[in-house]
Amino acid sequence: MQMRPDVQIAAMAKAMQDVVIPAVAGTNKLAEEQAKLVVGMLHLMAHQLPLQFRFDRDELERLMAAGAALEALPAADPAIRSATDALAGHRGAAAQLLEQCRRDPAELQQSVHAMRASICAVVEAFAAKGGDAQLEVERIVLAMSAEQLLRDRSLMKPQGWEPDPAAVPDIVSMIGD
Amino acid sequence: MQVTDKNRPNEAWIASMRSRFPCEAEIDRILTRKLRKRSSPSYQPIPLETLVAGLEKLLRVNRVEDFSIESPRWLSGGASKLQMAFDLEWQRPGAGFERTAMVLRMEPAESIVETSRLREFQLIKEFAGVVPVPPVFWCDPDGEYLPYPALVYGFAPGVPKPTTAVSGVSGVGTRMPRAIREYLAPQFAEILARIHRHEFSRENLSAFDVPRVGTTECAEWGVNWWDRVWQEDADEDVPMLSVASAWMRRNLPVLDFASVVHSDYRTGNFLYTEHDNRITALLDWELGRIGDRHQDIAWTTSRAFSSMAEDGKTMLVCGLMPEAEFFERYQKASGLSIDPRTVHWYKVYNAYSIAVLILGTGYRIARNGKTHQDILVAWLIGIGYMIVDEMRQLIEEGC
Repeated sequence: MQMRPDVQIAAMAKAMQDVVIPAVAGTNKLAEEQAKLVVGMLHLMAHQLPLQFRFDRDELERLMAAGAALEALPAADPAIRSATDALAGHRGAAAQLLEQCRRDPAELQQSVHAMRASICAVVEAFAAKGGDAQLEVERIVLAMSAEQLLRDRSLMKPQGWEPDPAAVPDIVSMIGD
Repeated sequence: MQVTDKNRPNEAWIASMRSRFPCEAEIDRILTRKLRKRSSPSYQPIPLETLVAGLEKLLRVNRVEDFSIESPRWLSGGASKLQMAFDLEWQRPGAGFERTAMVLRMEPAESIVETSRLREFQLIKEFAGVVPVPPVFWCDPDGEYLPYPALVYGFAPGVPKPTTAVSGVSGVGTRMPRAIREYLAPQFAEILARIHRHEFSRENLSAFDVPRVGTTECAEWGVNWWDRVWQEDADEDVPMLSVASAWMRRNLPVLDFASVVHSDYRTGNFLYTEHDNRITALLDWELGRIGDRHQDIAWTTSRAFSSMAEDGKTMLVCGLMPEAEFFERYQKASGLSIDPRTVHWYKVYNAYSIAVLILGTGYRIARNGKTHQDILVAWLIGIGYMIVDEMRQLIEEGC
Protein backbone atom coordinates (compact mmCIF):
# COMPACT_ATOMS: atom_id res chain seq x y z
CA MET A 1 0.00 0.00 0.00
CA GLN A 2 1.60 3.20 -1.23
CA MET A 3 -0.87 5.59 0.42
CA ARG A 4 0.70 5.89 3.87
CA PRO A 5 0.77 8.52 6.60
CA ASP A 6 4.29 9.76 5.79
CA VAL A 7 3.34 11.08 2.36
CA GLN A 8 -0.18 12.09 3.46
CA ILE A 9 1.10 14.19 6.36
CA ALA A 10 3.86 15.85 4.33
CA ALA A 11 1.39 16.85 1.59
CA MET A 12 -1.15 18.19 4.10
CA ALA A 13 1.46 20.29 5.89
CA LYS A 14 2.75 21.74 2.61
CA ALA A 15 -0.76 22.66 1.43
CA MET A 16 -1.40 24.43 4.73
CA GLN A 17 1.93 26.26 4.71
CA ASP A 18 2.10 27.23 1.02
CA VAL A 19 -1.55 27.91 0.23
CA VAL A 20 -3.95 28.07 3.18
CA ILE A 21 -1.97 30.10 5.72
CA PRO A 22 -0.90 32.80 3.21
CA ALA A 23 -4.54 33.03 2.06
CA VAL A 24 -5.96 33.67 5.53
CA ALA A 25 -3.02 35.66 6.90
CA GLY A 26 -4.06 39.10 8.03
CA THR A 27 -7.72 38.50 7.26
CA ASN A 28 -8.77 36.12 10.04
CA LYS A 29 -6.54 35.96 13.11
CA LEU A 30 -8.26 32.91 14.62
CA ALA A 31 -8.13 30.98 11.34
CA GLU A 32 -4.44 31.84 10.88
CA GLU A 33 -3.59 30.76 14.43
CA GLN A 34 -5.48 27.49 14.11
CA ALA A 35 -4.00 26.79 10.68
CA LYS A 36 -0.51 27.16 12.17
CA LEU A 37 -1.48 24.81 14.99
CA VAL A 38 -2.68 22.28 12.41
CA VAL A 39 0.75 22.45 10.74
CA GLY A 40 2.47 22.04 14.09
CA MET A 41 0.31 19.05 14.94
CA LEU A 42 1.00 17.47 11.53
CA HIS A 43 4.75 17.84 12.01
CA LEU A 44 4.40 16.30 15.47
CA MET A 45 2.48 13.37 13.96
CA ALA A 46 5.17 12.87 11.32
CA HIS A 47 7.77 12.74 14.09
CA GLN A 48 5.71 10.59 16.42
CA LEU A 49 4.21 7.94 14.13
CA PRO A 50 7.35 5.93 13.35
CA LEU A 51 8.34 5.98 17.03
CA GLN A 52 4.99 5.33 18.66
CA PHE A 53 5.21 1.52 18.78
CA ARG A 54 8.73 1.53 20.22
CA PHE A 55 7.70 4.26 22.66
CA ASP A 56 4.79 2.19 23.97
CA ARG A 57 6.95 -0.92 24.23
CA ASP A 58 9.60 1.01 26.13
CA GLU A 59 6.98 2.39 28.52
CA LEU A 60 5.54 -1.07 29.15
CA GLU A 61 8.99 -2.38 30.09
CA ARG A 62 9.43 0.44 32.57
CA LEU A 63 5.97 -0.12 34.07
CA MET A 64 6.77 -3.81 34.48
CA ALA A 65 9.99 -3.04 36.29
CA ALA A 66 8.19 -0.65 38.62
CA GLY A 67 5.41 -3.22 39.10
CA ALA A 68 7.91 -5.87 40.15
CA ALA A 69 9.39 -3.48 42.69
CA LEU A 70 5.92 -2.67 44.06
CA GLU A 71 4.99 -6.35 44.34
CA ALA A 72 8.12 -6.94 46.43
CA LEU A 73 6.98 -4.51 49.13
CA PRO A 74 5.53 -5.99 52.39
CA ALA A 75 1.75 -6.29 51.97
CA ALA A 76 0.07 -7.62 55.12
CA ASP A 77 -3.02 -5.49 54.68
CA PRO A 78 -5.69 -7.41 52.72
CA ALA A 79 -6.54 -4.42 50.53
CA ILE A 80 -2.87 -3.90 49.65
CA ARG A 81 -2.43 -7.63 49.04
CA SER A 82 -5.43 -7.63 46.72
CA ALA A 83 -4.05 -4.68 44.74
CA THR A 84 -0.53 -6.13 44.40
CA ASP A 85 -1.96 -9.52 43.37
CA ALA A 86 -3.94 -7.80 40.61
CA LEU A 87 -0.82 -5.94 39.59
CA ALA A 88 1.12 -9.22 39.41
CA GLY A 89 -1.55 -10.67 37.13
CA HIS A 90 -1.36 -7.73 34.78
CA ARG A 91 2.44 -7.82 34.82
CA GLY A 92 2.42 -11.46 33.78
CA ALA A 93 0.12 -10.69 30.86
CA ALA A 94 2.25 -7.68 29.93
CA ALA A 95 5.41 -9.83 29.94
CA GLN A 96 3.80 -12.27 27.52
CA LEU A 97 2.62 -9.47 25.26
CA LEU A 98 5.98 -7.75 25.31
CA GLU A 99 7.66 -10.97 24.26
CA GLN A 100 5.32 -11.10 21.24
CA CYS A 101 6.02 -7.45 20.36
CA ARG A 102 9.77 -7.67 19.97
CA ARG A 103 9.53 -6.85 16.23
CA ASP A 104 8.76 -3.37 14.94
CA PRO A 105 5.83 -2.66 12.53
CA ALA A 106 8.35 -1.00 10.22
CA GLU A 107 9.95 -4.44 9.79
CA LEU A 108 6.63 -5.80 8.57
CA GLN A 109 6.42 -3.04 5.98
CA GLN A 110 10.02 -3.67 4.93
CA SER A 111 9.24 -7.36 4.51
CA VAL A 112 6.23 -6.55 2.32
CA HIS A 113 8.48 -4.32 0.21
CA ALA A 114 11.10 -7.05 -0.10
CA MET A 115 8.53 -9.69 -1.08
CA ARG A 116 6.99 -7.40 -3.69
CA ALA A 117 10.41 -6.66 -5.18
CA SER A 118 11.38 -10.35 -5.20
CA ILE A 119 8.16 -11.41 -6.92
CA CYS A 120 8.65 -8.69 -9.55
CA ALA A 121 12.18 -9.95 -10.15
CA VAL A 122 10.87 -13.49 -10.66
CA VAL A 123 8.20 -12.25 -13.10
CA GLU A 124 10.85 -10.36 -15.07
CA ALA A 125 13.27 -13.31 -15.07
CA PHE A 126 10.59 -15.67 -16.46
CA ALA A 127 9.47 -13.02 -18.97
CA ALA A 128 13.01 -12.79 -20.31
CA LYS A 129 12.94 -16.51 -21.09
CA GLY A 130 9.34 -16.74 -22.36
CA GLY A 131 7.47 -20.00 -22.87
CA ASP A 132 4.72 -21.74 -20.94
CA ALA A 133 6.40 -21.16 -17.58
CA GLN A 134 6.01 -17.42 -18.06
CA LEU A 135 2.27 -17.86 -18.53
CA GLU A 136 2.05 -19.90 -15.34
CA VAL A 137 3.96 -17.22 -13.42
CA GLU A 138 1.56 -14.60 -14.73
CA ARG A 139 -1.46 -16.73 -13.78
CA ILE A 140 -0.22 -16.93 -10.20
CA VAL A 141 0.41 -13.18 -9.98
CA LEU A 142 -2.92 -12.32 -11.60
CA ALA A 143 -4.73 -14.45 -9.03
CA MET A 144 -2.81 -12.93 -6.12
CA SER A 145 -3.34 -9.42 -7.51
CA ALA A 146 -7.09 -9.93 -7.85
CA GLU A 147 -7.36 -10.57 -4.11
CA GLN A 148 -4.88 -7.91 -3.03
CA LEU A 149 -6.29 -5.18 -5.29
CA LEU A 150 -9.76 -5.78 -3.87
CA ARG A 151 -8.34 -5.05 -0.41
CA ASP A 152 -6.43 -2.01 -1.68
CA ARG A 153 -9.61 -0.65 -3.27
CA SER A 154 -11.59 -1.34 -0.13
CA LEU A 155 -9.10 0.53 2.05
CA MET A 156 -9.37 3.54 -0.27
CA LYS A 157 -13.18 3.35 -0.54
CA PRO A 158 -13.78 6.37 1.73
CA GLN A 159 -12.19 8.53 -1.00
CA GLY A 160 -15.22 7.91 -3.21
CA TRP A 161 -13.55 6.59 -6.38
CA GLU A 162 -15.62 3.42 -6.67
CA PRO A 163 -18.52 3.69 -9.16
CA ASP A 164 -20.33 0.90 -7.28
CA PRO A 165 -19.09 0.99 -3.67
CA ALA A 166 -21.45 -1.80 -2.61
CA ALA A 167 -19.59 -4.18 -4.93
CA VAL A 168 -16.39 -3.70 -2.91
CA PRO A 169 -16.57 -5.51 0.46
CA ASP A 170 -15.74 -3.67 3.64
CA ILE A 171 -12.05 -3.91 4.52
CA VAL A 172 -12.66 -5.28 8.03
CA SER A 173 -14.60 -8.21 6.58
CA MET A 174 -11.56 -9.15 4.50
CA ILE A 175 -8.62 -8.61 6.87
CA GLY A 176 -10.31 -9.36 10.20
CA ASP A 177 -10.79 -7.29 13.35
CA MET B 1 22.16 -2.17 -10.94
CA GLN B 2 21.26 -1.46 -7.34
CA VAL B 3 20.16 2.07 -6.53
CA THR B 4 20.37 3.09 -2.94
CA ASP B 5 18.34 6.27 -3.09
CA LYS B 6 16.01 7.29 -5.92
CA ASN B 7 15.75 10.71 -4.32
CA ARG B 8 19.45 11.27 -5.02
CA PRO B 9 20.18 9.27 -8.17
CA ASN B 10 23.80 9.06 -9.27
CA GLU B 11 25.04 9.28 -12.86
CA ALA B 12 25.73 5.56 -13.14
CA TRP B 13 22.14 4.72 -12.26
CA ILE B 14 20.79 7.39 -14.62
CA ALA B 15 22.92 5.89 -17.41
CA SER B 16 21.55 2.43 -16.63
CA MET B 17 17.96 3.72 -16.95
CA ARG B 18 18.78 5.31 -20.30
CA SER B 19 20.36 2.22 -21.77
CA ARG B 20 17.84 -0.22 -20.35
CA PHE B 21 14.77 1.61 -21.67
CA PRO B 22 15.45 3.17 -25.09
CA CYS B 23 12.78 5.73 -26.01
CA GLU B 24 12.44 8.86 -28.13
CA ALA B 25 15.36 11.28 -27.84
CA GLU B 26 13.26 14.14 -26.41
CA ILE B 27 11.58 11.85 -23.89
CA ASP B 28 15.02 10.62 -22.84
CA ARG B 29 16.17 14.24 -22.49
CA ILE B 30 13.34 15.34 -20.20
CA LEU B 31 13.46 12.20 -18.05
CA THR B 32 17.22 12.54 -17.67
CA ARG B 33 16.83 16.21 -16.74
CA LYS B 34 14.22 15.22 -14.16
CA LEU B 35 16.60 12.76 -12.50
CA ARG B 36 19.54 15.16 -12.52
CA LYS B 37 17.42 17.81 -10.80
CA ARG B 38 15.72 15.45 -8.36
CA SER B 39 17.98 16.16 -5.42
CA SER B 40 17.47 19.92 -5.82
CA PRO B 41 15.18 21.72 -3.36
CA SER B 42 11.45 21.12 -3.19
CA TYR B 43 9.01 23.43 -4.95
CA GLN B 44 8.53 26.76 -3.23
CA PRO B 45 5.67 29.14 -4.06
CA ILE B 46 6.76 31.52 -6.82
CA PRO B 47 5.63 35.15 -6.63
CA LEU B 48 3.80 36.47 -9.68
CA GLU B 49 6.47 39.19 -9.94
CA THR B 50 9.12 36.50 -10.59
CA LEU B 51 7.05 35.02 -13.39
CA VAL B 52 6.41 38.44 -14.92
CA ALA B 53 10.14 39.23 -14.83
CA GLY B 54 10.96 35.89 -16.51
CA LEU B 55 8.24 36.43 -19.07
CA GLU B 56 9.65 39.86 -19.93
CA LYS B 57 13.02 38.24 -20.65
CA LEU B 58 11.38 35.57 -22.80
CA LEU B 59 9.50 38.20 -24.81
CA ARG B 60 12.62 40.32 -25.35
CA VAL B 61 14.69 37.38 -26.54
CA ASN B 62 11.87 36.68 -29.01
CA ARG B 63 12.16 40.29 -30.22
CA VAL B 64 8.86 41.46 -28.80
CA GLU B 65 9.39 45.11 -28.02
CA ASP B 66 7.32 47.91 -26.59
CA PHE B 67 5.01 45.63 -24.62
CA SER B 68 3.28 45.68 -21.28
CA ILE B 69 2.20 42.70 -19.18
CA GLU B 70 -1.09 43.54 -17.47
CA SER B 71 -3.25 41.85 -14.82
CA PRO B 72 -1.10 38.79 -14.06
CA ARG B 73 -3.08 36.29 -11.97
CA TRP B 74 -3.04 32.60 -11.09
CA LEU B 75 -5.34 30.18 -12.85
CA SER B 76 -6.48 27.29 -10.68
CA GLY B 77 -7.16 23.75 -11.81
CA GLY B 78 -4.96 20.98 -13.15
CA ALA B 79 -2.60 18.79 -11.18
CA SER B 80 0.39 18.91 -13.47
CA LYS B 81 1.30 22.49 -14.44
CA LEU B 82 1.26 26.04 -13.02
CA GLN B 83 -0.72 28.54 -15.05
CA MET B 84 -0.64 32.34 -14.95
CA ALA B 85 -3.17 34.33 -16.95
CA PHE B 86 -2.25 37.82 -18.13
CA ASP B 87 -3.02 40.40 -20.79
CA LEU B 88 -0.27 41.45 -23.16
CA GLU B 89 -0.40 44.91 -24.66
CA TRP B 90 1.87 44.76 -27.71
CA GLN B 91 2.34 45.35 -31.38
CA ARG B 92 1.16 42.03 -32.73
CA PRO B 93 2.84 41.21 -36.06
CA GLY B 94 0.34 41.68 -38.85
CA ALA B 95 -2.35 43.00 -36.52
CA GLY B 96 -0.99 46.17 -34.94
CA PHE B 97 -1.50 47.24 -31.34
CA GLU B 98 -3.51 44.71 -29.40
CA ARG B 99 -4.39 43.68 -25.86
CA THR B 100 -4.21 39.89 -26.04
CA ALA B 101 -5.36 37.53 -23.28
CA MET B 102 -2.67 34.88 -22.74
CA VAL B 103 -1.65 32.06 -20.40
CA LEU B 104 1.82 31.15 -19.21
CA ARG B 105 1.93 27.39 -18.66
CA MET B 106 4.92 26.30 -16.58
CA GLU B 107 6.12 23.09 -14.98
CA PRO B 108 6.65 22.80 -11.23
CA ALA B 109 9.95 21.36 -9.91
CA GLU B 110 8.68 17.90 -10.87
CA SER B 111 5.34 17.18 -12.45
CA ILE B 112 2.97 14.24 -12.07
CA VAL B 113 3.52 13.87 -15.79
CA GLU B 114 6.98 14.86 -16.96
CA THR B 115 6.56 16.08 -20.54
CA SER B 116 8.30 18.35 -23.01
CA ARG B 117 7.12 21.94 -23.46
CA LEU B 118 8.93 21.93 -26.80
CA ARG B 119 6.87 18.98 -28.05
CA GLU B 120 3.65 20.59 -26.86
CA PHE B 121 4.63 23.87 -28.56
CA GLN B 122 5.55 22.17 -31.83
CA LEU B 123 2.38 20.10 -31.93
CA ILE B 124 0.03 23.02 -31.38
CA LYS B 125 1.84 25.06 -34.04
CA GLU B 126 1.75 22.12 -36.46
CA PHE B 127 -2.02 21.79 -36.12
CA ALA B 128 -2.90 25.49 -36.41
CA GLY B 129 -5.30 25.67 -39.36
CA VAL B 130 -5.68 21.88 -39.48
CA VAL B 131 -7.88 21.38 -36.43
CA PRO B 132 -9.03 23.95 -33.86
CA VAL B 133 -6.19 24.77 -31.45
CA PRO B 134 -5.46 27.77 -29.26
CA PRO B 135 -2.85 30.19 -30.59
CA VAL B 136 0.61 29.43 -29.20
CA PHE B 137 3.23 32.17 -29.03
CA TRP B 138 6.53 31.43 -27.31
CA CYS B 139 8.36 28.60 -25.59
CA ASP B 140 11.09 28.40 -22.95
CA PRO B 141 11.87 24.67 -23.29
CA ASP B 142 14.70 24.53 -20.77
CA GLY B 143 13.57 27.12 -18.23
CA GLU B 144 16.27 29.50 -19.42
CA TYR B 145 14.23 32.63 -18.68
CA LEU B 146 11.51 31.35 -16.36
CA PRO B 147 12.06 29.31 -13.18
CA TYR B 148 11.03 26.11 -15.01
CA PRO B 149 10.26 25.16 -18.65
CA ALA B 150 7.19 26.98 -19.94
CA LEU B 151 5.19 28.07 -22.94
CA VAL B 152 2.82 30.93 -23.67
CA TYR B 153 -0.45 30.43 -25.47
CA GLY B 154 -3.56 32.47 -26.14
CA PHE B 155 -7.10 32.01 -24.98
CA ALA B 156 -9.60 30.33 -27.26
CA PRO B 157 -13.31 31.07 -26.94
CA GLY B 158 -15.64 28.43 -25.56
CA VAL B 159 -16.44 26.13 -22.67
CA PRO B 160 -15.39 22.52 -21.98
CA LYS B 161 -18.91 21.49 -20.97
CA PRO B 162 -22.37 23.08 -20.90
CA THR B 163 -22.44 25.82 -18.31
CA THR B 164 -25.34 23.97 -16.67
CA ALA B 165 -23.76 20.46 -16.76
CA VAL B 166 -22.55 18.44 -13.80
CA SER B 167 -19.35 16.39 -14.15
CA GLY B 168 -16.36 15.08 -12.27
CA VAL B 169 -12.79 16.38 -12.16
CA SER B 170 -11.44 17.67 -15.49
CA GLY B 171 -14.68 17.05 -17.40
CA VAL B 172 -14.68 13.32 -16.70
CA GLY B 173 -18.20 11.89 -16.66
CA THR B 174 -19.79 14.78 -18.52
CA ARG B 175 -22.99 13.86 -20.34
CA MET B 176 -23.77 16.34 -23.05
CA PRO B 177 -27.47 17.08 -23.55
CA ARG B 178 -28.86 15.38 -26.66
CA ALA B 179 -29.41 18.69 -28.47
CA ILE B 180 -25.73 19.61 -28.03
CA ARG B 181 -24.16 16.22 -28.73
CA GLU B 182 -25.94 16.02 -32.08
CA TYR B 183 -23.68 18.87 -33.14
CA LEU B 184 -20.54 17.93 -31.25
CA ALA B 185 -20.43 14.18 -31.94
CA PRO B 186 -19.75 14.43 -35.71
CA GLN B 187 -17.11 17.11 -35.15
CA PHE B 188 -15.47 15.11 -32.37
CA ALA B 189 -15.01 12.01 -34.55
CA GLU B 190 -14.09 13.98 -37.65
CA ILE B 191 -11.42 16.09 -35.89
CA LEU B 192 -9.74 12.96 -34.50
CA ALA B 193 -9.74 11.53 -38.02
CA ARG B 194 -8.11 14.73 -39.29
CA ILE B 195 -5.39 14.55 -36.62
CA HIS B 196 -4.60 10.96 -37.52
CA ARG B 197 -4.65 11.62 -41.26
CA HIS B 198 -2.52 14.77 -41.02
CA GLU B 199 0.67 14.62 -43.09
CA PHE B 200 2.99 15.97 -40.46
CA SER B 201 6.19 17.84 -41.15
CA ARG B 202 9.33 16.11 -39.86
CA GLU B 203 11.02 19.50 -39.78
CA ASN B 204 8.31 21.20 -37.73
CA LEU B 205 8.08 18.24 -35.35
CA SER B 206 11.82 17.98 -34.74
CA ALA B 207 11.29 16.99 -31.09
CA PHE B 208 9.58 13.76 -32.17
CA ASP B 209 11.01 10.49 -33.43
CA VAL B 210 8.99 8.64 -36.05
CA PRO B 211 8.55 4.90 -35.48
CA ARG B 212 8.93 2.59 -38.46
CA VAL B 213 5.74 1.30 -40.04
CA GLY B 214 5.57 -2.50 -40.29
CA THR B 215 7.45 -2.95 -37.00
CA THR B 216 6.62 -3.02 -33.28
CA GLU B 217 8.98 -0.09 -32.59
CA CYS B 218 6.17 2.36 -31.76
CA ALA B 219 4.61 0.13 -29.10
CA GLU B 220 8.02 -0.82 -27.72
CA TRP B 221 9.10 2.82 -27.32
CA GLY B 222 5.87 3.42 -25.43
CA VAL B 223 6.37 0.50 -23.04
CA ASN B 224 10.00 1.52 -22.51
CA TRP B 225 8.88 5.08 -21.70
CA TRP B 226 6.51 4.04 -18.93
CA ASP B 227 8.69 1.20 -17.66
CA ARG B 228 11.47 3.75 -17.27
CA VAL B 229 9.25 6.24 -15.43
CA TRP B 230 8.11 3.43 -13.13
CA GLN B 231 11.68 2.36 -12.35
CA GLU B 232 12.72 5.97 -11.74
CA ASP B 233 9.82 7.03 -9.57
CA ALA B 234 8.19 4.06 -7.82
CA ASP B 235 8.77 3.35 -4.17
CA GLU B 236 6.87 0.10 -3.67
CA ASP B 237 7.05 -2.61 -6.36
CA VAL B 238 3.74 -3.82 -7.80
CA PRO B 239 3.86 -7.39 -9.21
CA MET B 240 0.77 -6.69 -11.34
CA LEU B 241 2.68 -3.95 -13.17
CA SER B 242 5.55 -6.35 -13.89
CA VAL B 243 3.02 -8.80 -15.36
CA ALA B 244 1.44 -6.00 -17.42
CA SER B 245 4.79 -4.94 -18.82
CA ALA B 246 5.64 -8.54 -19.73
CA TRP B 247 2.19 -9.06 -21.28
CA MET B 248 2.54 -5.92 -23.40
CA ARG B 249 6.00 -6.91 -24.59
CA ARG B 250 4.75 -10.37 -25.50
CA ASN B 251 1.88 -8.95 -27.55
CA LEU B 252 3.40 -5.83 -29.17
CA PRO B 253 1.21 -4.65 -32.08
CA VAL B 254 2.74 -3.84 -35.45
CA LEU B 255 2.30 -0.23 -36.59
CA ASP B 256 0.39 -0.07 -39.88
CA PHE B 257 0.27 3.73 -40.26
CA ALA B 258 2.14 6.47 -38.40
CA SER B 259 -0.13 9.25 -37.11
CA VAL B 260 0.14 12.11 -34.71
CA VAL B 261 -1.56 10.85 -31.57
CA HIS B 262 -3.07 13.39 -29.16
CA SER B 263 -2.98 10.94 -26.21
CA ASP B 264 -5.68 12.71 -24.15
CA TYR B 265 -8.51 13.16 -26.65
CA ARG B 266 -11.74 13.32 -24.68
CA THR B 267 -14.54 15.52 -23.42
CA GLY B 268 -13.03 18.05 -21.05
CA ASN B 269 -10.05 18.61 -23.35
CA PHE B 270 -11.86 20.55 -26.04
CA LEU B 271 -13.71 23.85 -25.97
CA TYR B 272 -16.84 24.70 -27.92
CA THR B 273 -18.92 27.85 -28.25
CA GLU B 274 -22.40 27.45 -26.85
CA HIS B 275 -24.16 29.77 -29.27
CA ASP B 276 -23.34 27.59 -32.30
CA ASN B 277 -22.06 24.32 -30.73
CA ARG B 278 -18.83 24.54 -32.70
CA ILE B 279 -15.59 23.01 -31.37
CA THR B 280 -13.12 25.88 -31.09
CA ALA B 281 -9.97 24.40 -29.52
CA LEU B 282 -8.33 21.11 -28.61
CA LEU B 283 -6.32 21.39 -25.41
CA ASP B 284 -3.68 19.41 -23.50
CA TRP B 285 -1.36 18.14 -26.20
CA GLU B 286 1.49 17.50 -23.76
CA LEU B 287 1.49 13.70 -24.12
CA GLY B 288 1.15 13.78 -27.91
CA ARG B 289 3.48 11.60 -29.94
CA ILE B 290 3.85 10.18 -33.41
CA GLY B 291 2.46 6.71 -33.08
CA ASP B 292 -0.51 4.44 -33.44
CA ARG B 293 -4.05 5.84 -33.83
CA HIS B 294 -5.33 2.94 -31.74
CA GLN B 295 -3.79 4.60 -28.67
CA ASP B 296 -6.23 7.53 -29.05
CA ILE B 297 -9.14 5.26 -29.92
CA ALA B 298 -8.51 3.13 -26.83
CA TRP B 299 -8.23 6.24 -24.67
CA THR B 300 -11.28 8.02 -26.07
CA THR B 301 -13.49 4.93 -25.72
CA SER B 302 -12.32 4.24 -22.17
CA ARG B 303 -15.15 3.54 -19.73
CA ALA B 304 -13.68 6.19 -17.43
CA PHE B 305 -14.70 8.92 -19.89
CA SER B 306 -18.05 7.43 -20.88
CA SER B 307 -21.46 8.30 -19.54
CA MET B 308 -24.93 6.83 -19.82
CA ALA B 309 -27.53 8.20 -22.23
CA GLU B 310 -30.95 9.30 -21.05
CA ASP B 311 -32.37 5.82 -21.73
CA GLY B 312 -30.22 4.40 -18.92
CA LYS B 313 -28.75 1.62 -21.08
CA THR B 314 -26.72 3.19 -23.90
CA MET B 315 -23.13 4.00 -22.98
CA LEU B 316 -21.88 7.12 -24.76
CA VAL B 317 -18.22 7.54 -25.73
CA CYS B 318 -17.09 10.71 -23.94
CA GLY B 319 -20.76 11.43 -23.27
CA LEU B 320 -21.30 12.07 -26.97
CA MET B 321 -22.29 8.98 -28.98
CA PRO B 322 -22.47 5.18 -28.81
CA GLU B 323 -19.20 3.41 -29.55
CA ALA B 324 -20.44 1.87 -32.80
CA GLU B 325 -21.41 5.30 -34.09
CA PHE B 326 -18.04 6.74 -33.05
CA PHE B 327 -16.17 3.95 -34.87
CA GLU B 328 -18.33 4.37 -37.99
CA ARG B 329 -17.91 8.13 -38.12
CA TYR B 330 -14.17 7.91 -37.46
CA GLN B 331 -13.52 5.24 -40.07
CA LYS B 332 -15.60 7.04 -42.66
CA ALA B 333 -13.81 10.34 -42.05
CA SER B 334 -10.29 8.91 -41.85
CA GLY B 335 -10.42 5.98 -44.22
CA LEU B 336 -8.42 4.16 -41.53
CA SER B 337 -9.47 0.83 -40.07
CA ILE B 338 -9.83 -0.04 -36.38
CA ASP B 339 -8.31 -3.31 -35.19
CA PRO B 340 -10.08 -4.42 -31.99
CA ARG B 341 -7.02 -6.41 -30.82
CA THR B 342 -4.78 -3.36 -31.14
CA VAL B 343 -7.39 -1.23 -29.35
CA HIS B 344 -7.38 -3.80 -26.54
CA TRP B 345 -3.57 -3.70 -26.31
CA TYR B 346 -3.63 0.08 -26.09
CA LYS B 347 -6.31 -0.03 -23.37
CA VAL B 348 -3.82 -2.04 -21.29
CA TYR B 349 -1.04 0.38 -22.28
CA ASN B 350 -3.09 3.43 -21.32
CA ALA B 351 -4.08 1.93 -17.95
CA TYR B 352 -0.44 1.02 -17.35
CA SER B 353 0.75 4.57 -18.04
CA ILE B 354 -1.85 6.08 -15.67
CA ALA B 355 -1.00 3.56 -12.96
CA VAL B 356 2.68 4.45 -13.32
CA LEU B 357 1.95 8.15 -13.03
CA ILE B 358 -0.40 7.87 -10.07
CA LEU B 359 1.29 5.18 -7.99
CA GLY B 360 4.89 5.91 -8.96
CA THR B 361 5.35 9.54 -9.92
CA GLY B 362 2.52 10.80 -7.69
CA TYR B 363 4.14 9.21 -4.66
CA ARG B 364 7.66 10.40 -5.51
CA ILE B 365 6.81 14.06 -6.11
CA ALA B 366 4.48 14.33 -3.12
CA ARG B 367 7.10 12.71 -0.90
CA ASN B 368 9.71 15.18 -2.09
CA GLY B 369 7.41 18.23 -2.04
CA LYS B 370 8.03 18.94 -5.71
CA THR B 371 4.78 20.53 -6.85
CA HIS B 372 2.26 23.26 -6.14
CA GLN B 373 -0.36 20.52 -5.71
CA ASP B 374 1.25 17.87 -3.50
CA ILE B 375 -1.98 17.35 -1.59
CA LEU B 376 -3.85 16.66 -4.85
CA VAL B 377 -1.30 14.20 -6.27
CA ALA B 378 -1.13 12.42 -2.90
CA TRP B 379 -4.93 12.20 -2.88
CA LEU B 380 -4.88 10.70 -6.38
CA ILE B 381 -2.69 7.79 -5.24
CA GLY B 382 -5.90 6.24 -3.91
CA ILE B 383 -7.45 5.77 -7.36
CA GLY B 384 -4.39 3.86 -8.57
CA TYR B 385 -5.64 0.53 -7.23
CA MET B 386 -8.90 0.72 -9.16
CA ILE B 387 -6.94 1.47 -12.34
CA VAL B 388 -4.53 -1.42 -11.77
CA ASP B 389 -7.49 -3.72 -11.13
CA GLU B 390 -9.14 -2.62 -14.39
CA MET B 391 -5.86 -3.32 -16.17
CA ARG B 392 -5.72 -6.77 -14.57
CA GLN B 393 -9.21 -7.53 -15.88
CA LEU B 394 -8.22 -6.38 -19.38
CA ILE B 395 -5.19 -8.67 -19.33
CA GLU B 396 -7.27 -11.61 -18.14
CA GLU B 397 -9.77 -10.94 -20.94
CA GLY B 398 -6.90 -10.81 -23.41
CA CYS B 399 -5.13 -13.94 -22.21
